[in-house]
Amino acid sequence: MKNRLKVLRAERDWTQAQLADAAGVARQTIVALENAKYSPSLELAFKFSRIFGKAIEEIFQGLADEGK
Amino acid sequence: MDMDGKSKNPVRRAYRRYFWEFGSAMVLYVAMMWVRNWLLFGARPGASGPMEHAPQGWQIAVAAMPVTPVAFVLVAIVRLVRNTDEMQRRVYVESAAIAGAATALLAATYGLIEGDFFPKLSAWWTYSVFMFGWLIASGFLWRSYYR
Repeated sequence: MKNRLKVLRAERDWTQAQLADAAGVARQTIVALENAKYSPSLELAFKFSRIFGKAIEEIFQGLADEGK
Repeated sequence: MDMDGKSKNPVRRAYRRYFWEFGSAMVLYVAMMWVRNWLLFGARPGASGPMEHAPQGWQIAVAAMPVTPVAFVLVAIVRLVRNTDEMQRRVYVESAAIAGAATALLAATYGLIEGDFFPKLSAWWTYSVFMFGWLIASGFLWRSYYR
């Protein structure tokens, strides 16, 4: 699942470790998410939504949206 | 958002706790092995231990005594898996399932050929194969998430 985590994180000048701490996950999980190797659960997606102050669909692009 | 250096990250806390628990269990394991061997076999090779003439039930209990810290390690692993984040939990559980299936397959295969063609092995090998398999499987799964 594609996402804008890397861009949003860079906009705020945060490191992967800082984002990991904010989300309560390991830094390796942030790496996997940013590389679109792992799709988060709804719970984790909501966490990122709160952290960045954006709607989930503004951060994550589902398979149905990828062709658009 | 907590952006200072003092992290409240539950995953880091879980790992710190795991390493502490694992280390303590290993120290206890070494101590219990030493006590077990002394009680059953004495301090020197060829010597007899204080429990040499104890009832068999007691000797079995003492021989199995070091499994207690192994159980502590199991509890520490379960606690780590439960307290880590969802992706890491997925890697651990998936790799444990692969290792369990591979161990079962190997055990069944060897069970069919041991005795007539191959020597009977200690039950320890299943433990070793599972742990080694878990390590290898989790290594491959980690790689698949980072490549």
